[in-house]
Amino acid sequence: MIKLTINSLDVSVEKGTTILEAARFLGFPIPTLCHMEGLSSYGACRLCVVEIGEGPRAKLVSSCTYPAEEGMKVRTASARVLKARKMILELLLASCPQSKTIQDLASAHGIRQQRFKQEYEDCILCGLCVRMCQEQMMAKAIGFRNRGEKRSIGTPFDVKSDICRLCGGCMYICPACQLRCTYNEPQKAICGGCANLTPPCVDKEQFDDMMCYMDPCVACEIKKD
Amino acid sequence: MQRLSSINELKELRSVLFKTADENKPRIVICAGTACQASGSSDIIRVAKKYIIENNLAEKVGLRITGCHGFCEMGPFILTEPQQAFYTQVKLSDIPRIIEALLENKYVEELLYQDPSTQEKYYNRDDIPFFKNQKRSILGLNQKIDPIRVHGYIAQEGYTAFEKVLSKKDAQWVVQQVKDSQLRGRGGGGFPTGLKWELLAKQPDKGGKFLVCNADEGDPGAYMDRSILEGNPHSIIEGMLIGAYGTGANEGIVYVRNEYPIAVKHLNIALKQARQLGLLGNNILGTDFSFDIKIVKGAGAFVCGEETALIRSIEGKMGEPRQRPPFPVEKGINGKPTAINNVETWANVPLIFRLGAEKFARIGTEKNSGTKIFSLVGKIKNTGLVEVPMGISIKDIVYNIGGGSVSKTRIKAVQTGGPSGGCIPADKFDLPVDYDSLTKAGSIMGSGGMIVMDDNTCMVDVAKYFMNFLKDESCGKCFTCRKGTQRMYEILDDISKGKGTMEHLELLKELAEAVKDTTMCGLGQTASNPVLSTLHYFYDEYRRHVVDKKCDSFVCKELVGAPCQAACPLGTEVWRYAALIEKGKYKEAYKVIREPNPFPSVCARVCGRECESRCNLAASGDEAVAIRILKRFITDRIDPAVYKPVRAWRNGKKARRVAVIGAGPAGISAAHYLSLLGHKVTIVEAGDVPGGMLLSCIPAYRLPRDVARREIDLLLNDENIDIRYNTVLGRDITIDELFKAGFSAVFLAIGADKSWRLDIEGEDAQGVYSSMEFLKAFNLRGEELAKGHVGIVGGGNSAVDAARVAMRQKAVKSVTMLYRRTNQEMPAYAEEVEAAIEEGIRLETLVSPVGIRYVKAAEAEGVKIESFVQPIKIDARDGHIVDIQCVRNKLGDVDVSGRRRPVPIPGSEFTIALDTLVAAIGERPDSDCLASMGLQLDKGGRVKVDAKTLLTDRQGVFAGGDLVTGPNTVVEAVAAGKKAANLIDQYLQGKELVEPVQIKMPKVFIEPAVVSEEELEEAVKRAEPAILPAESRKNSFEEVELTLSVEQAKREARRCLRCDLEFTQQKKNEDAQLAAVEGKSK
Repeated sequence: MIKLTINSLDVSVEKGTTILEAARFLGFPIPTLCHMEGLSSYGACRLCVVEIGEGPRAKLVSSCTYPAEEGMKVRTASARVLKARKMILELLLASCPQSKTIQDLASAHGIRQQRFKQEYEDCILCGLCVRMCQEQMMAKAIGFRNRGEKRSIGTPFDVKSDICRLCGGCMYICPACQLRCTYNEPQKAICGGCANLTPPCVDKEQFDDMMCYMDPCVACEIKKD
Repeated sequence: MQRLSSINELKELRSVLFKTADENKPRIVICAGTACQASGSSDIIRVAKKYIIENNLAEKVGLRITGCHGFCEMGPFILTEPQQAFYTQVKLSDIPRIIEALLENKYVEELLYQDPSTQEKYYNRDDIPFFKNQKRSILGLNQKIDPIRVHGYIAQEGYTAFEKVLSKKDAQWVVQQVKDSQLRGRGGGGFPTGLKWELLAKQPDKGGKFLVCNADEGDPGAYMDRSILEGNPHSIIEGMLIGAYGTGANEGIVYVRNEYPIAVKHLNIALKQARQLGLLGNNILGTDFSFDIKIVKGAGAFVCGEETALIRSIEGKMGEPRQRPPFPVEKGINGKPTAINNVETWANVPLIFRLGAEKFARIGTEKNSGTKIFSLVGKIKNTGLVEVPMGISIKDIVYNIGGGSVSKTRIKAVQTGGPSGGCIPADKFDLPVDYDSLTKAGSIMGSGGMIVMDDNTCMVDVAKYFMNFLKDESCGKCFTCRKGTQRMYEILDDISKGKGTMEHLELLKELAEAVKDTTMCGLGQTASNPVLSTLHYFYDEYRRHVVDKKCDSFVCKELVGAPCQAACPLGTEVWRYAALIEKGKYKEAYKVIREPNPFPSVCARVCGRECESRCNLAASGDEAVAIRILKRFITDRIDPAVYKPVRAWRNGKKARRVAVIGAGPAGISAAHYLSLLGHKVTIVEAGDVPGGMLLSCIPAYRLPRDVARREIDLLLNDENIDIRYNTVLGRDITIDELFKAGFSAVFLAIGADKSWRLDIEGEDAQGVYSSMEFLKAFNLRGEELAKGHVGIVGGGNSAVDAARVAMRQKAVKSVTMLYRRTNQEMPAYAEEVEAAIEEGIRLETLVSPVGIRYVKAAEAEGVKIESFVQPIKIDARDGHIVDIQCVRNKLGDVDVSGRRRPVPIPGSEFTIALDTLVAAIGERPDSDCLASMGLQLDKGGRVKVDAKTLLTDRQGVFAGGDLVTGPNTVVEAVAAGKKAANLIDQYLQGKELVEPVQIKMPKVFIEPAVVSEEELEEAVKRAEPAILPAESRKNSFEEVELTLSVEQAKREARRCLRCDLEFTQQKKNEDAQLAAVEGKSK
């Protein structure tokens, strides 16, 4: 067993346990986007960063990939962690404003504005679908391609895959498309401000009484420009 | 090659090689490194071989083809042995001469390396400063070894270190030696190599351990790893063999990028030879030690230099880093323990065993032992690979080895560590180069790239460049690294296009810190460094881009527009009048020149010509367009009357009265523009003529009196302008009195016409004048103060003016200028200095005066000094200068401005007999009286003003021109006057004082000239106006420079690159498209 402290609480876990698992065991909430039980940890979204070490050696690590070590002192919500997390969420929001998962996380972390140029992407390259396909569906039909700015997910050479069984696991697990604000079900949409952005399949009038939880709403901000 | 079956056989082989090698045999050494091959060394080698064979010289002269020597700037080159003569930038036709000279033990003088700044020739390569100041323990071997012949390496004590290790038969000792040597990883992180080996050695051996040589060198501008692999591959093999013996590894891998074909080729050959010799494989040299190395070629992803990504790449997976722990020494390639070291680290290993760990540890500094190779590139004289002991200062590398700035421009910063490194500003150049100091300064050692930047490098652009690289080369796994670098690039791009805001700077910093904090691997964690370090050290430059929308380095296109226009303090549309001259529309050209500049004819003769120094033609290696001379061409032939200044209609508002103090260019231009704005101006002038320095200081042969007078009179002949001569501020009138007399605002432009004193003994002797005193006496009163032998101290424009005026005076026998630095550093316009020398003026550079001797004082030197003697008598009898005592200087340390400080050489004193001495070491404003009127002055007597509003500490009192800047160019003074006029107008209207931020962009489209193919091919030289021959101008004050002919002017105007078209043509096309679309829709 490995003994460590998380937010000053002592805990002992089995060898090989990640910080994330240990923290969640104690009930400390750590937001994640690219982590899913049953799939291997990847560490792509960086939302789960926690602070370890002390003094000048203190650093942020992704808790989903970092193994618990003897005597380790973990802080899951220090000022440094929260600041970093906020910036990550702001970046996420700037890229994928329409993902409800991201909207909810941003809201919960008190993000009130988004200062980057707005993009409308539908993928944050968290890699959940890739791992789902490979590890649970045993298909390996999709994977990452290219690097840096050009990185994307898809089948090799964009050719329709023979291995793919169209199981839909990849779509089910996607944090960017999963629970995305579905305009034709207003009761599920909290914000609806995004309905102003791209022509949705419903009339905007339906959202008149909606309260935008983003203040100011990202979408409304953009509209002003 | 026979397989060696014991250590002794290797030793025997070496001794045989030693005996057969003839050290004294003449030999030419040619570098065939990638850089030299690119500059043509393969042809040189071929021709040299052919020459040797055809002339049957193979017995007499040897030829060695080697890897990189480091001085890539000078390639292709030939080094001769044993002479050590170094012939640079050799041409094919030079080879026979070089070989012949070598055989006769002579030198081909004109091909020898010559120091570009001192012109000194070097006969021995090791005396060249570039080599002399290095410690080349690794690179130095390259020149002695033919990389494709193992015997060459063995003869240079190759594999002796491995021999020692094998004989010692103690793996622990090996690891301990490396630990004791304190060698740290040369890949950039600086992890102690010995410690890494120890960790690997401790790992249980379950199915093998790996050693990896990381040759995935990907930094832009860094190529030391390639040079080692190309030039000395066996040193890597030997290092890895030692490592394997120490750590128990049984498999070695060299991970090298596929873009290094020569490195791969040489390494393959070396591996094959080592296997043949029994130095690799099973039972090496007959012992039970087995180890082999294979090559894995990488596809060139920058991130694969990161060790976990490298491991994945070797495994055949996508090159992206993974979480550490577990560290590669625990779980590496295929889950087996793996130690990864950089090429340079491996190359250092044999050296440790050859020298002994203790001796190795003594090189460099504590905790940072050994040498480090840097690739020194950028705006520096000597580019190439340099190897220096750790802990040497950046200054030493940049100035002593690199030779300083390649041009006159000041070196601003050094970027170390490649894309993830940072910039270190020039004032931190004393920083020792080691892992810890660089990290502390916000940069990293990285693999050792060192890019030198000067004032022509824009730091925002630098950060943008590296961010562009990183956003492509980030693996993309971590969201913050992938998106963060993209977003940082986006913001930097906005800033460079003038769309940045102060909030952007905040956000940029916040984002950069977040990226640094939240990414997984070394690439991401250092990716923010270019942004953070430039933000930290060059925040003002960012502010300048964001607030003033200016790029002072003239790099950011969207902020610069046409560089000539942006450089002009008055914003003259140079490109426009050049285009109009080409079209023959001279009147329009005059209007373009006159519109922003009330002194066109004056500026056509005396101008600082920032426009020419920023001309893109000059930046691309050609000579700048002769802008001033084109302006002269127009002003000489067009009547100023074609331009009618536009007077502002004051809309019934009451005109206010403004006092302008000083009738120099700044004062007159302020008065002129104030008058155009409808104000009544009274100029108060201390002298009895207007024009200030234009008439009192600048000699007539440069600026004819009638030209200057005509222009001044034209401006002063204005019903709104009234001028009062012989009225001195402070003596005859005060600022308070001016306000009382009903003036609503005061503009101070009294210039800077008081000479600095030399501050040496005897300065008050007769015959010693200040430059201002001397020039004014002549220019205003016609008095000729210079007699006999004349000395001028100083190197600025006024020193040259004084020298040339003196030369033209009747009683003068000779004129000598004394300047304390080299004439390359003279602040005067280079052409003026040349003209002065042509006229027969001697130039004594690197000389500083130490004291002037009186006749009586000289006598007194022989006399015993008695107390109570009254010195007054001696002065009264005779006090005229007879000579000046000087001491020679040499170049010393580099000062903050990047120039070498002159240092006197003791014992080199000498005297020059003189009858007249003019001190022209600079001017300052004669502003003492202003302090008593409540204005703040700095040490140089300059008035302190708000740079943006020109407002002094007193309400309603503005100041500009030389009074604020110190001695400056005419055009700057005119610009200051113009700016002051606008600000004073705003002040008088009770508006907030702001200078509108505007980017001076070309707006008018002028059809470009059609340039024929032939014209493009024949390189048109910059037009040089005819000048009076030196003989005839020596005694006259006629204008030296003549005007261009129509033909010359047209040809010169056609040389203009028309940088404006990039902005105007696009707009024109867009307009045309828009019109077309609208036309259709109608």
